[in-house]
Amino acid sequence: MRRNAAALVAAWLVLPLNAQQFKFNLEHLESKASNTVDLSLSGSTLRFAAKFLDDDDEDEVKVKKLINGLEGIYIKAFEFKTAGAWSQADVEQLRTQLRTPEWSRIVGVKSAEDDCNAEVYVRNEKGKVSGVAIIATGTTSLTVVNIVGPVDLDSLADLSGHLGVPKLQSKPGRKM
Amino acid sequence: MDWLEEELRNALARKEPSPDFAARVHDAVRRPRTVFNIRPWLAAAASLIVMGSAGGAAWRHHQGVQAKQRVMLAVRITAAKLNQIQNHVREVNR
Repeated sequence: MRRNAAALVAAWLVLPLNAQQFKFNLEHLESKASNTVDLSLSGSTLRFAAKFLDDDDEDEVKVKKLINGLEGIYIKAFEFKTAGAWSQADVEQLRTQLRTPEWSRIVGVKSAEDDCNAEVYVRNEKGKVSGVAIIATGTTSLTVVNIVGPVDLDSLADLSGHLGVPKLQSKPGRKM
Repeated sequence: MDWLEEELRNALARKEPSPDFAARVHDAVRRPRTVFNIRPWLAAAASLIVMGSAGGAAWRHHQGVQAKQRVMLAVRITAAKLNQIQNHVREVNR
């Protein structure tokens, strides 16, 4: 009986960790930020929300298809009024958590012109994509995303240009 | 055992009712009885159930719309970041 109770408590403690694949540990930036977005959408919330997505709306149909099978979406996004509000240590502690055999960095972007540094990591388990992590930083912004579950990055990126998000087009003749 | 017999005799001895006993019984019989009417209670319970379930459905719908808005915001943020990254990668590959 006591062993069962201990197992239940252990399962309860482990569950939130399993849901989100790495910890953001960025709460200390909230007081410095002028804008904060903190989204924790568990699998059950995604399934519940999917019921309210409109089947007659093209974008919402795409979103419904995209979130189908996902186990969670976790986002922390900060905007700051001044530079230097976040430190490299804040980003490094995220990278450290992603330096495990399951995670592999697939893209790293550094652009002085756009003030945009971004990295995309993919988590593979048993030969299948089981998660995605995005770390995007600017001088006055920091965004961390963890999508838990199988996700099609191309179709997700294609959603910009829809949903009220302007689709960025490459500037002709621009070189990095 | 005399004391016991005496006690029993006293306890079981015939006693005359009080003089107003018949009148009290008569009054009690004539007094209109308050009958518990279940109908208004049933109606109140039914309307409470209807109001409760309607309120519950409205609350659930509100929660669903909120969840949908949060999902759309999450997808919007992620899509914008990925598009930004894709755009940079395309430029580099040119």
